[in-house]
Amino acid sequence: MPGPVKNSDFVSKIQVFEPHKAALPPLVPYFREFWKRRAFATELARFADKAEYLDSKFGKVWLVLNPLLLAVVYFLLVTVIRGSGSKNLGLTTLAHILIGLFTFYFAQNCISAGAQSITAGGRLILNQAFPRALLPFSSTISAFQQFLPTIPVYIFVIVVGKQFFPTTQVPGLTWSYLWTPFIIFMVGLTGFGLALLFATMNVYFRDTNKLLTYMTRIWLYLSPILWQPSMLHGWHKLAIYLNPLGPVLSANSDVWISGKSPSLTIILGSLFWAAFAILFGGYFFISRERDFAVRI
Amino acid sequence: MPEELAVRIEDLSIKYKINVDTKRTLKNAVMRASKGERVRTRVVEAVKHLTLDVPHGSVLGIVGANGAGKSTLMRSIAGILPPTEGRIIVNGKISTLLALGVGFNPALSGRDNIILGGLASGMTREEIEAKTEEISDFAALPDGFIDMPVRTYSSGMYGRVAFSVAVNMTPDILLLDEALSAGDASFKEKSFNRMRELCKEARTIVIVSHALATINELCDSAIWLHKGSMLAKGKPDAIVDQYLKFLDVGALPSNFEDM
Repeated sequence: MPGPVKNSDFVSKIQVFEPHKAALPPLVPYFREFWKRRAFATELARFADKAEYLDSKFGKVWLVLNPLLLAVVYFLLVTVIRGSGSKNLGLTTLAHILIGLFTFYFAQNCISAGAQSITAGGRLILNQAFPRALLPFSSTISAFQQFLPTIPVYIFVIVVGKQFFPTTQVPGLTWSYLWTPFIIFMVGLTGFGLALLFATMNVYFRDTNKLLTYMTRIWLYLSPILWQPSMLHGWHKLAIYLNPLGPVLSANSDVWISGKSPSLTIILGSLFWAAFAILFGGYFFISRERDFAVRI
Repeated sequence: MPEELAVRIEDLSIKYKINVDTKRTLKNAVMRASKGERVRTRVVEAVKHLTLDVPHGSVLGIVGANGAGKSTLMRSIAGILPPTEGRIIVNGKISTLLALGVGFNPALSGRDNIILGGLASGMTREEIEAKTEEISDFAALPDGFIDMPVRTYSSGMYGRVAFSVAVNMTPDILLLDEALSAGDASFKEKSFNRMRELCKEARTIVIVSHALATINELCDSAIWLHKGSMLAKGKPDAIVDQYLKFLDVGALPSNFEDM
């Protein structure tokens, strides 16, 4: 949209608005404007949490309590269906469900909040020109901030659990934890990319969000959270790689449950899905965002 | 583009497609597809071959009936809507007050909304924080309202904050779409004074208003848009007279009775 830009000390001084022949606007100015306004995304995330009282003490407790209770429900479900194993397996199963759910929730929050960010930010879109990708980006930041406190909760559960079940297979401190930042980053990228995709869809079809609730539920069951990746054999392993979060959640299990570094194929799979989600979602979003103002 | 111009519009046309069907849902789309129906859309030609120069330090008024393309034109100058044909060159920082919602999140306080708006327009955190006091002083809300959620505001208060944000961003070009209807007589007087100040500082203002007295009082030139085309351009009183004649109501006082 903004064409040749001179002296961009504040807001680009001379701007030229021309019809877009190409699907994408010039990307360099787009990302420059995006970067310049990154404080907007972080503040918006903070204010959105504030509006939902998530900055209060109980709000934070709720953020952790919600996935924790769900994890307990799923844990009961899984152990009842599978029958009682040894007690050692019990803690491993719980640990796997916990860390899997926490991580999955991070991605799900990115996507569901991001999908609504454009339709909910309609008034801002009608009044001001700015790179629209900042809105789903803000949802991703917010989802990340909600995800962070769940990690200490997981560690707490495992440390306490180990006191009761000292023979458990859940690992203590290992070098493989150094993979955690990579895993979180990949989940965030995949989540942001899919948020861009569904945010665009939601502008055209306002019930996308309803569909998303079913989709994420099914997606949860298809992901290695309630079951472990090692339970799959032969061509069934394909199920991991066809799932955008499959490889990265497997890497998560490797690191947190098996205490080993993820395999190369798992790492490549995670990288592939993160790049694919960002490129595909980004293209879909940015090529259509100039349409949003007339469709909101 | 000549230095003295703030905005140059060259042969601008804007068309967009709107969906005729009321409910835009996936469910309806699938049902429609199963019946073999096509999506009903309509192309709106909001602006047709408009050419216009706005010099720095001038106040341009835009009049026209509903659906004349006034808001679309304003949005395209702001860079929100891309042109379909032609081009727009803008020289300067733009501040906008275009939609009645003005981008406020009803759950957040007035102050938080001011900060968000500033950051979205590309200001830094420090710049907007320095301005926040000035903006809230100008809006002069009753005690403590600036820190209350915007949903508790009356529509007048809402409009006052929105207007204060737009005029206090030290814009080079200020775009106001029906923004002056907010506030009581004293706030309106204050708004007018602020706009005159902006003009003295060689800033440019474009006003869309149905309050023709406002156009007459503030603008030094005006255009009349009708169904996307510019029918006339000239001195505000002449344009307003022509427009009123066209409306076939004559210069009835009620039209001058201000919003």
